[in-house]
Amino acid sequence: MVKKLFSLIILALLVIMLLPLMTDFAPFAELSRVAEKYVQKGPAEVGGQNLVTSVIVTYRGLDTLGEIAVLFIATAGIGFLLGKSSGKHKRSEASQLVNTGTAFLLPIILLFGVFIFLHGHLTPGGGFQGGVVIASGILLFVLANADSQISSNLLHWIEDLSGAFYVIIGLLGLILAGGFLDNSILPLGQFGKLISAGAIPLIYTLIGLKVGAELVGILNNMQRSQ
Amino acid sequence: MVSPIYIFIIALGIGFLLSLFDKAGRAVAMTIFYGALLAMAFISGQWLLHLLQGAEAEIITTAGFQPPFSINLKMGLLEAFFTFLINTLGFLAGIYLLPKFKSQKIYGMILFLMLIMGLNGLVMTGDMFNLFVFLEITSIATVSIIAIEKNLKSISAGFKYVIAGGIASAFYLIATIFLYRFTGVLNIAMMAETLNVASSQAVFLSVFILMIAVIVELKPFPANGWALDAYEAVDSGVVAVIASGTSAAMLFVFYKISPLLNNTLLLTAAGIGLATFTFSNLLALKQKNAKRLLGYSSIGQIGLIITAYALLVRAGYARNSEIVMLTTGGLFINHFLAKAGLFWLSGVVEKEKLEEWSTLRNNPILLFAFAVFVIALVGLPPFPGFFAKWQLVMTFANQGLFFWIGLILLGSFLEAIYLFRWLGKVLKSDLKAELKAKISQIFPILIYLLAILIGGGYLSRLINQGTSLSILYLPVLFIVFLFFIDFLPVAIKNTLVILVGSYYTYLIIPQLSGYRVMLGVIFLAGGVLLFIPGYFKRGKRTGFYPLAVMMYVGLAGLLISENTLQFFTSWELMTLGSYFLIIRGKKSEPHALSYMLFSIGGAFVMLFGFGILYYVNGNSMALSSLGNIESMAGIIYALLGIAFLTKMASIGLHIWLPGAYGEAEADVSPMLSAILSKAGMFGLLMLMAAIQTANLGSINLPYVLGWLGAITVFIGNLLAIYQEDAKRLLAYSSVGNLGYILFGLALMSHMGWLTSITYALNHFLFKALLFLAIGGVVYRVKTKNMYEMGGLIKKMPLSFVSVLIGIIALSGVPPLSGFAGKWLTYNAVLEKGWYLQGVIVIIGGLIAFLYCFRLIYAVFLGQLKDKHRQVKEAPVWFLIPQVILIGAIMLFSTYPAFILGPVGKMLNDILPENALIWENLDAYSIYGHWNGFLIMMITGGIFVIVFLWLYFLNRKAQKVKQFNIVYAAERPSRPELTHVGYNFFAHYKKALGSLSQPYVTKFWNTMADIFHSSAGFIRRIYTGDGQTYILHIIIFIVVVYFLTIGG
Amino acid sequence: MLLTIILGIILIVLGLWGMLSQKNIIKIIIGFSIMDTGIHLLILSIGYIKDRTAPIMNQAVQSAGQVIDPVPSALVLTAIVIGLAITALMLTYAVKLYEIKGSLEISDFKELKW
Repeated sequence: MVKKLFSLIILALLVIMLLPLMTDFAPFAELSRVAEKYVQKGPAEVGGQNLVTSVIVTYRGLDTLGEIAVLFIATAGIGFLLGKSSGKHKRSEASQLVNTGTAFLLPIILLFGVFIFLHGHLTPGGGFQGGVVIASGILLFVLANADSQISSNLLHWIEDLSGAFYVIIGLLGLILAGGFLDNSILPLGQFGKLISAGAIPLIYTLIGLKVGAELVGILNNMQRSQ
Repeated sequence: MVSPIYIFIIALGIGFLLSLFDKAGRAVAMTIFYGALLAMAFISGQWLLHLLQGAEAEIITTAGFQPPFSINLKMGLLEAFFTFLINTLGFLAGIYLLPKFKSQKIYGMILFLMLIMGLNGLVMTGDMFNLFVFLEITSIATVSIIAIEKNLKSISAGFKYVIAGGIASAFYLIATIFLYRFTGVLNIAMMAETLNVASSQAVFLSVFILMIAVIVELKPFPANGWALDAYEAVDSGVVAVIASGTSAAMLFVFYKISPLLNNTLLLTAAGIGLATFTFSNLLALKQKNAKRLLGYSSIGQIGLIITAYALLVRAGYARNSEIVMLTTGGLFINHFLAKAGLFWLSGVVEKEKLEEWSTLRNNPILLFAFAVFVIALVGLPPFPGFFAKWQLVMTFANQGLFFWIGLILLGSFLEAIYLFRWLGKVLKSDLKAELKAKISQIFPILIYLLAILIGGGYLSRLINQGTSLSILYLPVLFIVFLFFIDFLPVAIKNTLVILVGSYYTYLIIPQLSGYRVMLGVIFLAGGVLLFIPGYFKRGKRTGFYPLAVMMYVGLAGLLISENTLQFFTSWELMTLGSYFLIIRGKKSEPHALSYMLFSIGGAFVMLFGFGILYYVNGNSMALSSLGNIESMAGIIYALLGIAFLTKMASIGLHIWLPGAYGEAEADVSPMLSAILSKAGMFGLLMLMAAIQTANLGSINLPYVLGWLGAITVFIGNLLAIYQEDAKRLLAYSSVGNLGYILFGLALMSHMGWLTSITYALNHFLFKALLFLAIGGVVYRVKTKNMYEMGGLIKKMPLSFVSVLIGIIALSGVPPLSGFAGKWLTYNAVLEKGWYLQGVIVIIGGLIAFLYCFRLIYAVFLGQLKDKHRQVKEAPVWFLIPQVILIGAIMLFSTYPAFILGPVGKMLNDILPENALIWENLDAYSIYGHWNGFLIMMITGGIFVIVFLWLYFLNRKAQKVKQFNIVYAAERPSRPELTHVGYNFFAHYKKALGSLSQPYVTKFWNTMADIFHSSAGFIRRIYTGDGQTYILHIIIFIVVVYFLTIGG
Repeated sequence: MLLTIILGIILIVLGLWGMLSQKNIIKIIIGFSIMDTGIHLLILSIGYIKDRTAPIMNQAVQSAGQVIDPVPSALVLTAIVIGLAITALMLTYAVKLYEIKGSLEISDFKELKW
């Protein structure tokens, strides 16, 4: 109890410490120097309608590569930590409702996922979001079919190759265009169309596949170690 | 040139594909994995070379846009240096972990590769948010790879680590986004250009949060329980990367964000660093687990580096200026190599307890590596930490940062305590287990061993006036050579050392002038002489020769030093060498430790003194500037004086001496007592010569020293009479003798100094003689207790003669040289008018008779013990130097003018007044005159007459057989009680009461207790509860913030 | 846009409170997630400019003055993914700890101390 009270006091002090961030702070009224340039030049330089995507995939592409790496490391780490599953664990059968719902929803979910990462440069969304949607579809499938086993072999191939291709595309940017991860190795195309913004749709497709495979891998690992 | 971006491309590309390669076989995957690590090391190494030759730094931007619109990676000189260190560490640590990688899942290698890549990213990125990404890559890879060992300890440590890391990065992220708001950019360099920290409270707070988040990652006290747990529990191969690699990258991150910090925040960082350094080292005192101890030490070292860096930048040095690089860089490299090496060793040893590391003795190379790493951490020459610390102290002193210097030296001292205690245990604890070292483990350790040796030499040339150390190069090379030929038998090495030593003496002595000649003779000629007994040893005597020579190299270095750096380096070399000599004795572990601690403590005090000198005398490092100090002279002299007195074992600082001299090997004790103790005297001579010409103001240092000397004579001699152990008796007697030397110097007159210097020579002669003779006896009878000896005159007549001559010379009765000393002392005291002190010294001299008598009586006279009936005379190698020493004593006694004359002339430059005047063999002082030759002739004549008369009487004497009353009936429970020499002076002990109490020992024990119990108390904050550790981090952040804005 | 900043900080502190007051490891991880969410909210709030729309340059957007800052939106995406990865790893650790010791009380894991 004393410890809790003490924690409370410390947190109160932390709030007092953080007060200037609330009181002594004015939000942006205009775009920052960096943002201004992205908004002005982004459509022409990168060719993506969705500026957030342009920033993520191209201007700050290294962040995204790092982000992919983080997810990759986490997947590997989880696999490393959990080790081999100790015997099979039987789950109870899913209900009829889940089974039927899955059969109906799974294709739509997967399609939606693909739509999201393919349109990442045009509309809100992108590789990560798409990948998560795909993974959620697979999760539903696993829930519905208790004795299903997802081929971890296949997952590995998808995960590893999509990651490697992403790096290779980045490398092509270094060799063929302005620098590492430059998306203009492919023609920028017509602004606002599906096939535009250079390599961005390609990159997002790879990211979508990789993220999807990784999240499924994580779920798979966690499920097996129950 | 391969673009640095390929470091990331290789790591990521191969990392992504490694599990596919694994399907083709583990060997394929491993080949590619090590190839990738090697390639990364190669790229950074290539850039390092390129940039060292003056190439432009390479900036890589994403997609070819310029910062701040893109993320930039930089490969400048520093980046190349750090990535090279990290990547070579990666490769070596990878090799170290090879057996694990081979047997475990492929994920291990993937995670390892990602970890190294993350560290590269931390170093190279110039973007604040990208830094966050790499921070997380590093952190996630680290906590994942911790699972290479899946036991409870490492998993629970991993969990604490991930939680703590998560909180630190959360704060980092908060700061990043607000700083983006205030500057509109994420590029760190541009942020620093536009940001005005003082412009608003919110800006200040954001920068503070940024700094504190980075500092939390660097494991500050007390918010570091999670890190300590990790150091203790995580696999050795991994923890080496965390301790060295991750710390390196995080320190570089701190370097990168430091342009954002203003002076207030730099001071805060420095304070945190210093607190971390001091407290980590304090708490480590109580630590018994080796890896956790290394953890404490790691955290402390990082704290020191932060302090050094922050204060130097605050003082106005450019962030990448040479001084900053030399000091912080030197400390960093030292820590980086030593800590990785030690953690790797922990994996070889596979033992938790400190003393169990004694298994290292099974492998001399690994033992050598261990000793080198430990000594490097303490900051002794010739390793990088020593030179960096020297430069740091001088630079801090130049800025007047004396408070900081004091605390840094205190922390370093605490560190020395536990590290040398550990080293001692490893060298002396019982050997219980075998040692199985794999090649994959030894290889990285040896590489770092080599690196730290080369690094020390390289750094020594870069520091201020470092090239002046070239006087030590050849001798140090000889030491290295001796290490290489250590497998040869004693006879060869001993001969080689004597030959080289003689030649070196022949080279050095003519270069010396003044009183240095006298000490040169003692240090070098005496040193060579005392190597002769070494021939009695059989076998290899592993490690003896390099380290003994190291001591003499240090001693010789003192004589030829012209600046404080040379002097201090020589001093430390001498200390280090002598430590290893002392610890060779059978029971000498605690005594060697106490010797080392007093020596290191003294050396740090000396360093402080030299620092102040540097500050006061306009950055002068010349020793000659000691004589014309502008201000603060009293403090400087006092500090240096304390340092020298420590080596001379003056009362209060003497408690290390009896054990150290007493427990050392037979031929080492004379080296220590007769030669090493004069190092302190030499320092003091130098100091007093300077005081003579300096303006000291109100502090009468000589007066204080005079009293100290007098009391030392009295107490040293008094304690000597109570000893049962013959060598300890001689050791205490040395304390008293050194007191004479001190007293003489303190007189500050021609006569006083003449006394002191001749006494030093005398002491060298008779103490070497006595220790050799007694050493020979102890060697034969296998005990040092005098009550177990007796009657040995018949068995060891030559040793008896040696001891007899020795004690006559010691006690100062005519005709031998001691008398000259006494006569001169009385003259000097009368001249100075220090009657009270003089009386104490004279009483002390009378007490010396008591122990001299006891020594010769208990050992050589009385009844011969039954078990000693077969005892032979001491080995001939012991007797040869004794004969030479006796000859020297006789010569000096008969013709004192040979020595006193030249010494007097040397002193005329410094103290010309009231010199001794020589007329043929007569010496005239203002009080009287004395003729050594005449005295010798008269006393010798009387001796011969009495001897003949006794011999004549004895012819008629009846020989009586010895009664064996001791074992006549029953065996006594305490056989020593039957020896009349046991507890010989008990009545004096009773009579003198409190004067004989070991107050000084009690004082130092209490000090040690205070430190240890406070360490034991404070370290209870590390409860082991992960939640408490979270609380610590938050308390730390909040408290530091309010301290920063409040003060 | 001060309100969401306040809300973000409240979430951060609440999350920390959860981490400090809950004994169950899973609940501590939930606390961490709440804190993380608070930070994400903070990041988004920084990028927001009153009365402007998302930075998607379709027909509805005529000039640069009409959109909010795209940078924080980009950053938050990265931050979310990283947060997810860390949370997943923490949960894995929780699973592993439970597997070894059969307990999820944080105070049960005090093997290492001092």
